[in-house]
Amino acid sequence: MVRVKSRYLLCEVNVSDRSLLLLLDDRAIAAAVKSVVARIHGDYGAALCSIRFSVKYLNAHTGIVFLRFPKRCYKLLWSALPFITSVESRGQNIPCFLNCLHVGGTIRTCQKFLVRYNTQQLHRMLPKCKNEEERQEVRKAILNCSLTRQNKETFQDETESEEDEEE
Amino acid sequence: MRGDDKKDKSAGYQRVVLKNASPYHYMKVCLVLEDESTKLSAVELKQFIITGLKTLYGEVGAALNFDLLKYDEDTRTAFLRVCSRGLVKLWSSLTLLGFYQNQACAFRVLQVSPFLLALTGNSRELQLD
Amino acid sequence: MSVDLDQTPRSILVWERSSFLDEKNRINSEVEQLHFNYKVSVLLPECSSTPPHLESVLTSFSRFYLVRNLPLHKLLDKEFLETAVYQGSVYGLSYRTRIDEDNCVALMPNGRLVLSLDKDSFQVLGFEGKPSTFGNRTKNRFVVTIDLTDSSMAPGGRGYLRLLTGLTSRLSLQMDFLLSHHPGGGASLQPLLSHCDWSEHTPEISTQSLTHLSCPEPQSCDPHSFLEWLGAVHTDVSSLSENSSSNFLSSLVCPEPKTTLSQALRVSICGLLLPQDVHHLVQELRCYLERSRLECWTSLTVHGFVDSPVSWGDREHGVLRGGENFYTLLMFHDHTYHIHLATGAHDTCPP
Repeated sequence: MVRVKSRYLLCEVNVSDRSLLLLLDDRAIAAAVKSVVARIHGDYGAALCSIRFSVKYLNAHTGIVFLRFPKRCYKLLWSALPFITSVESRGQNIPCFLNCLHVGGTIRTCQKFLVRYNTQQLHRMLPKCKNEEERQEVRKAILNCSLTRQNKETFQDETESEEDEEE
Repeated sequence: MRGDDKKDKSAGYQRVVLKNASPYHYMKVCLVLEDESTKLSAVELKQFIITGLKTLYGEVGAALNFDLLKYDEDTRTAFLRVCSRGLVKLWSSLTLLGFYQNQACAFRVLQVSPFLLALTGNSRELQLD
Repeated sequence: MSVDLDQTPRSILVWERSSFLDEKNRINSEVEQLHFNYKVSVLLPECSSTPPHLESVLTSFSRFYLVRNLPLHKLLDKEFLETAVYQGSVYGLSYRTRIDEDNCVALMPNGRLVLSLDKDSFQVLGFEGKPSTFGNRTKNRFVVTIDLTDSSMAPGGRGYLRLLTGLTSRLSLQMDFLLSHHPGGGASLQPLLSHCDWSEHTPEISTQSLTHLSCPEPQSCDPHSFLEWLGAVHTDVSSLSENSSSNFLSSLVCPEPKTTLSQALRVSICGLLLPQDVHHLVQELRCYLERSRLECWTSLTVHGFVDSPVSWGDREHGVLRGGENFYTLLMFHDHTYHIHLATGAHDTCPP
């Protein structure tokens, strides 16, 4: 059996007003990606985007999106993503842009990257905290993910082998 | 893509083999329209091909550089030059162009070559009788 | 299935620099090995009318015959073999057959008969051949090469009878055929022609004078740019004279450094042309260069037949996309020359 290979793009949706994020759903993101691919790469791109493209995961609170593309044409489809300027959702036009953080061969590697990335973000947030209460909260959060990180150390080899696959 | 093999037997003799090194490809195409009397100028033809590229390959495709070297309005035959990387894109979009101003049309690709010279000597044009 | 949109068909360009005075120059073999020439075009810079010597060489090009609906087994007639094929220098090529869809036949001056057949015809014929390199892996096309001068192919021989019955009873191929022979060879085509419907043709000469032509430096120009420029001159591309890269229609410009020729002459001749005549023309052009002023050059382009089953020598040829097999000879005043030999698709490298 040969696995059908895909590429998972881990993107964050950047909006000016974070409350708008809650309006997003995966269908809206998929429609926005499809339309922008059709505009930039025409019928050819739209056809490539119709096979095995899906929005695997959307976190409406943090604005994190996992997009799945077929491996052979992910570069072409990826090149259209910067042209997204707004997402139409629930009758509302949300101005936003997608920022690609990571490209992985499996959802697992993307998830691991995301955990690491969010930890870094927390570290960055810590000095910027305004009062003690916030600081405590961030510290707690960092400690929480440190635990998962230690667990992960044992799987380090596996992670590397998976990342090799991502060329 | 490119392999050179140089042999220097004497100072005067030199031989270079260039493989797939041609920067451009040339196409000789003919536009067939349902209504033969339709006039089509060179600028309109180029614009028409660009719209074809845009529908098939989008804005990226529409930005593909190609040149209309020569165009004969009576036979609607044109010589196109396109960089080698864009040949497949141009050719496929020509194939899929089916309508010009609501009338059926088709592009006949008569000859494709990496050398413009080859288009001037096509023995299939030899007419005896 | 992954498809790479950037890929282009294979092409080969051989660029060679040498001198006519060099004893080891290979110009003669390169000229003579391309057997089936369709068109020769000459570009004479700074020349307003055809020089008389050149004119006479062009008009002396051998005539050729078009034989209509020639049954292929007639080529195996004992009389024809003896009066023509064994004498050498007989050139024959099927006419209006396309090598990518029809059966094509070529009779080479060394007595070889080359048949490029589709799979059905090949199996019906039942003669030894090998798969064409142009059918990819599907083996839809086969090439049968027969040496008619071989002893087994002598009339009455085993191979001869086998081929004859194949061509008469099993696969009765009929096609229009272009025939020519070099007058010096002593061959005679009369025995064959007397049985057929034929017409005689002279190669068609056309002359055109050009003015105000921007022209690159032929000694130093990159081969691809030079061929492009020469092609643009031969196709009458108008943007070459305007020479602006900001034109909407075309950005073709003459390669730098460039000069302007006040006038030039373009002469071309079309038909089934013999390599001997081309060789004669090359010699005449050399004389012309010697007579003319310094710093002069001429170019000679010879196009082979697109649908010929062979290109140089007995190298297999096919069409695929362009079917080009041509060479451009660039001659300079000091007896040096540049030659560009080009083929496309799966053709093997020129000599």
